[in-house]
Amino acid sequence: MCPGSRSGSPDTRVGMPAAPGRALGWTRRPADDEESAIQPGSSPHRGPVRVEVRGLTKSFGAVRAVDDLSFTVEPGSITGFLGPNGAGKTTTLRMALGLERPDAGTATFDGVPYPALPAPVRTVGAVLETAFHPARSGRNHLRVYCRAAGLPPSRADEVLAQVGLAEAGRRRAGGYSLGMRQRLALATALLGDPAVLVLDEPANGLDPEGIHWLRGFLRHLAHDQGRTVLVSSHLLAEMEQTADRVVIVGAGQLVREGSLAELRSGAQGSGAVLARSPEAGRLAEVLGAAGFTLVPPDDDLVTVTGTTPAAVGAQAFRAGVELHELRAETSGLEELYFRLTAGQEQYAAPQGGAR
Amino acid sequence: MTALVRAEWTKLFTTRVWIGLLAGACLLAGGSAALVTGLAGQPGGPPPVGTAQFEQLALAVASNAAVLSLILGIIGMTQEYRHRTATPTFLTTPRRGRVVVAKLLAYGLAGVPFALLVTAVTATVVTVYAGARGAAPSLTGDNLQVLVFAGLAIVVYTVIGVGLGALMRNQVGAIVGALVYLYVVEPLLSSFQATVDVFRWLPGGALRALTTTAGGPPGVTLDLLERWQGGLLLLGYGLVAAVLGTLLAVRRDVV
Repeated sequence: MCPGSRSGSPDTRVGMPAAPGRALGWTRRPADDEESAIQPGSSPHRGPVRVEVRGLTKSFGAVRAVDDLSFTVEPGSITGFLGPNGAGKTTTLRMALGLERPDAGTATFDGVPYPALPAPVRTVGAVLETAFHPARSGRNHLRVYCRAAGLPPSRADEVLAQVGLAEAGRRRAGGYSLGMRQRLALATALLGDPAVLVLDEPANGLDPEGIHWLRGFLRHLAHDQGRTVLVSSHLLAEMEQTADRVVIVGAGQLVREGSLAELRSGAQGSGAVLARSPEAGRLAEVLGAAGFTLVPPDDDLVTVTGTTPAAVGAQAFRAGVELHELRAETSGLEELYFRLTAGQEQYAAPQGGAR
Repeated sequence: MTALVRAEWTKLFTTRVWIGLLAGACLLAGGSAALVTGLAGQPGGPPPVGTAQFEQLALAVASNAAVLSLILGIIGMTQEYRHRTATPTFLTTPRRGRVVVAKLLAYGLAGVPFALLVTAVTATVVTVYAGARGAAPSLTGDNLQVLVFAGLAIVVYTVIGVGLGALMRNQVGAIVGALVYLYVVEPLLSSFQATVDVFRWLPGGALRALTTTAGGPPGVTLDLLERWQGGLLLLGYGLVAAVLGTLLAVRRDVV
């Protein structure tokens, strides 16, 4: 714990946790079939769990909040669930966790819908909102869910230490800062030592140090321990630093799914390709004739959108145009994200180019 | 289910709501018992100390605490929605019906010591005060029955509160609604001969049948159900509230 945590304001003096996940003891063992048969310290889930969302759809009145959404979340990696506010992220997560009823579609954890899991909190831990009774201490809040899930009450202290709340555990949760509330919610999700973690905007309210800590914590859970981590956010910058893969949604529909590297490189034809040539004018002509979308050459630079470096290079090679530089634009992810999610017609279909 | 019931008890006893309500219930019951005993025998007051009517009337005031056990049940259920803990609760137990059933059991069982304490306080106040005024009632026979039924009413009202909370979800709305119903709607219905036939079958009428021997307001014959019928009817209301509350909690989205 950092010194001065007793006298400091509760806002920032949360204290650094022990090494992330040190006390997790996550092991692969066969699943228990009843919640009452749980032995202290055992981890009865079945190892890595894949999350599959298929055709989820839900309308609120005339608004289609989630529209035929399908994606997959793989174990051992952090998947960012990215989209602007109101894109349907929270509704999707709540449907996947059995809290809201979809109009159509399914979400499964290794093929099993959440409500049918034999020991749900041991398979999936979820941080959906920072929900607790303000008059109850953080520790007692956790002990409630230990009891309900048949976990030993000592788990409450273990997860409190994991998220760095050991000292604040006995205080009323109503007095916690926003960052501490996020940590308490995360601790609740970790109680069952789950194979899958689902977090809805977990960085909200965390200070920079807290965000840095969370990032490391999630990486440890996914990369070192092989868990499946799904994190939603509306902030691309945050996801760029945390996620391995992203699922981008806009207006309830899937916009793009893939690794960040793929998106960034434009390998899916979503970025811009920059080509430098001493014969920029001729290169533009050749590419334009082949049906590529490009902006007018600027000096020796030709910018082509909606395609890949490979496609541009091949065309230039066929036409015998000399190239000095050929690369995907890597700095435009923010712009890409914005473009992808800005309006219906813009993410309806990627522009084909010369595929 | 045992684990879920114990989880509900942990929730109940890790905030101070129950202390306030229990203290209030004891004060309410003890205070009205003292008032009834103190006024006994005065012109226009309760029957004099030493009569069977006085003793039953004074002991029956324990059932006044039922309104507080009702509120306890309502808070127990609606706090999940008010503080949004319904989300972690239903994540831990996705079969939501089990949560509501566990709550009904937990609060029904917690209502038993609650009722025991309230009736004990009432009996103590009446015994000591009436004893000082000349004749302490015996806590046997009809007197004991009155106490038992008052306690039963307190327990059943806790269960009704949980069911009502599951139906309404909004804490303030459920409590205000219950109080308006109990103290405005039902007294209104019970004060006219034309509506008394309806009142008899309502929860308040059942409560009165279960716990009091007094008649209605001047000019109105209450004609309440038999005591055991009132008790059964009250249990029925508790059951209906529980079943409806469970069904709704299972079907509605958790928001």
